[in-house]
Amino acid sequence: MIDFELTSTQAQVKEFAHQFAKSVVRPMSLEADRNHRIPDDFMLRLSQMRQMMTVGEVPQEYGGEGAGVGEIKDKKGKSQKNRFALIGAEEMAWGDISVLLSLPGPGLGGPPVQFTGTPAQRERFFGVFKKEGLHWGAYGLTEPGAGSDVAGIRTSCRKEGKEWVLNGRKCFITNGGRADWVVIFATLDPTQGRAAHRAFVVEKGTPGFYCGKIEDKMGIRASETAELVLEDCRVPEENLLGGEEHYARGKEGFMAAMKTFDSSRPMVGVLGLGIARGAYEYARDFVKENYVLGRAIPRYQLLAQTLADDKRLLDAARLMCWRAAWMADEGVPNAKESSMAKAYAAKAAMKVCTDAVQILGAHGLEQHQFVEKWYRDIKVFDIFEGTGQIQRIVISKRILKEAPNF
Amino acid sequence: MISFGLEEEQAMIQETVRKFAVENLRPKLREFEHARALPESLRRQFHELGLALVDVPEALGGQGASLTTAAIVQEELAFGDPGAAIALWSPHLFVQAVLALGDEAQQKRFLARFAETAGALRSGAVAYSERGAPLDGFNTTAKRSGGDWILDGKKAFVVNGGVADLTVVFAQLEGTSGWDGAAAFVVEAGNPGLQAGERHALLGLDTVHAAEIVLESCRVPDANRLLGGSNSPKESNFLLGSQRMFARGGLLNAARQVGLARAAYEFALDYTQERKAFGKVIAHFQSIAFTLAEMHMDVEAARWMVWRAAVELEKGKVETVYEAIAHANEAAWRVADNGVQLLGGAGYIRDYPVEKWMRDTKALALFGPPSECASLAVAARELGHSFGSGLPSSAIQPFFT
Repeated sequence: MIDFELTSTQAQVKEFAHQFAKSVVRPMSLEADRNHRIPDDFMLRLSQMRQMMTVGEVPQEYGGEGAGVGEIKDKKGKSQKNRFALIGAEEMAWGDISVLLSLPGPGLGGPPVQFTGTPAQRERFFGVFKKEGLHWGAYGLTEPGAGSDVAGIRTSCRKEGKEWVLNGRKCFITNGGRADWVVIFATLDPTQGRAAHRAFVVEKGTPGFYCGKIEDKMGIRASETAELVLEDCRVPEENLLGGEEHYARGKEGFMAAMKTFDSSRPMVGVLGLGIARGAYEYARDFVKENYVLGRAIPRYQLLAQTLADDKRLLDAARLMCWRAAWMADEGVPNAKESSMAKAYAAKAAMKVCTDAVQILGAHGLEQHQFVEKWYRDIKVFDIFEGTGQIQRIVISKRILKEAPNF
Repeated sequence: MISFGLEEEQAMIQETVRKFAVENLRPKLREFEHARALPESLRRQFHELGLALVDVPEALGGQGASLTTAAIVQEELAFGDPGAAIALWSPHLFVQAVLALGDEAQQKRFLARFAETAGALRSGAVAYSERGAPLDGFNTTAKRSGGDWILDGKKAFVVNGGVADLTVVFAQLEGTSGWDGAAAFVVEAGNPGLQAGERHALLGLDTVHAAEIVLESCRVPDANRLLGGSNSPKESNFLLGSQRMFARGGLLNAARQVGLARAAYEFALDYTQERKAFGKVIAHFQSIAFTLAEMHMDVEAARWMVWRAAVELEKGKVETVYEAIAHANEAAWRVADNGVQLLGGAGYIRDYPVEKWMRDTKALALFGPPSECASLAVAARELGHSFGSGLPSSAIQPFFT
């Protein structure tokens, strides 16, 4: 069946998330951006609402909220989890992206623990979120010299007795400073490529593991982006994600890292377009209030044309993301489509946010007008989770018969 | 529910048309262009597939398929040859006009002939455009004469103009202006008041017969007036019916743009993996590979926009059709241009089809409502103006008054 209408449950989820984003999140967005911080009491309220969120990150068997409404199956008994997730996420990003990135929970660290972790590890690391207070997980892959080029990581690991010794630096780690644990990717031998990669869960407070500087960024300023340092950091062998046997098959460790990205790329795509939709609506209403009402508008054709272009770009980007999510729900491999969704949505969102500032003119530069913030926030969507250029490499490798050697 | 999966039957139709297009259209697209027509044998062959009336109700001899299925058929045909996609669907514009604007008796009377075996070579036309027409209405007039109507005027850009078995003519009722006074009449071939004018020589899509027609004291019976499904002028749904007709036509044209873009993309994808320079196939240079990736994204995004609009239009919502039209036009232009670019000098010569697609896409973009009108219609709605009747001209009215 070809259809694009939300089910009634999806429409409710969207409405609930939108109202929440509008009445709770948006009002504190500018202040959080200025202070580089989201107030703790606000975060606590958010974490109490976790189970209301569309798709949980902590599996139910470990005391989490499970997949929530995302577990509702379609008429043929198939999961709609990925589609549900996109619908809620777009609305939350519409409210404020930093709040969404700062939500307490395992974050990007969730999927590797879920998919690669042993039952005991899942129990231990997801168990953290059962405790009172604010708790985060994080995902430590990127290094000063290796981002999209995952195979190039230099953080080293070596086994000493029943412990692993880690040395290296990680950077741009979301929630890295406050996380209870971080999934750290390291290598036994940088010359051995992916087969030598190992993933560890490193807990806060482990000797030799500390937070370096917190980055001062152009946008998403209320989201914590940390540098992490590992200096002869000793972690028990129980923290090797998946256990020794998991790595006996070669590239598995690396594949665990990649598993996170196939499901997260369409998600990152809709987050970008959620922000951009906010910017678009803001600019559209500005035009309506300042130029249109009560006046003839022959002089505003260019604005109208820009708004129309932006509206359809956002819609097209959303359809690209939904397609990738639909494929994931159908159990069809979607690496190419995920990359296309992310690349297309990021490009569209960049244009829309830039146009919004332009439409507001000098007002667009004012800090209380929101669009100035979104203009700064949106740039990161062309960068994190694989830059636009990296996505194009992924796409071209998948459309060409033989892998190119660029 | 959000779903991109084809029904089993849709997948079968897609497969059938794709095969037909690849085997019968693509290899001969230059022949068609030179002949400025399709061979009769091909038209018969297509008729036998039973897809010429795919989205027409079964009771009227069609297949009763959805608009989305029709869009899939058009994408596949245009993938073979965009000109043939229109020329093969020669009755289609007329059929859609009668479905949208005619009452039950008129539908039976005018449509049956297209479903018959002998209907393979028949065509229909819709005469709407005029050179120098007012934004909102027509220069062609319709005047009462006893129980009949007398039509006078000149129409341009009429597909199958002057060669069609049946032609719907849009005209302005005498003494009126604007869409409220617009009307449509079916004129049958052989009417002495209907004369074929000059055939247009086109930049692209020259396979399609597009011509002027001249109406000179053209007498048509009142029974041939289309009133939007009603038989009383007072209860006419003429505007709504016209809106539906233009929206469906525009949408299927957008589906052709997707097929054309896919053709250009796939051709460039194959070519750049054969052509070598500096010791490797050129697709393995980043600037070429990334362009191919952009083309692929453009094609896919445009297709989803067309599908979404098709589904919504069937539910009675016309708004997203205008988004789909503007989006597909822009995407197809960019992809067709890149298609020529990636072939370099080879793309510019007629040994390869990409230069034809670059010309065809411009023709397609002017075949439905122009992108500018479509975009302004989207903006009008977004800025809270009434969408008017949803007709191409009235929807953009707020921007000119």
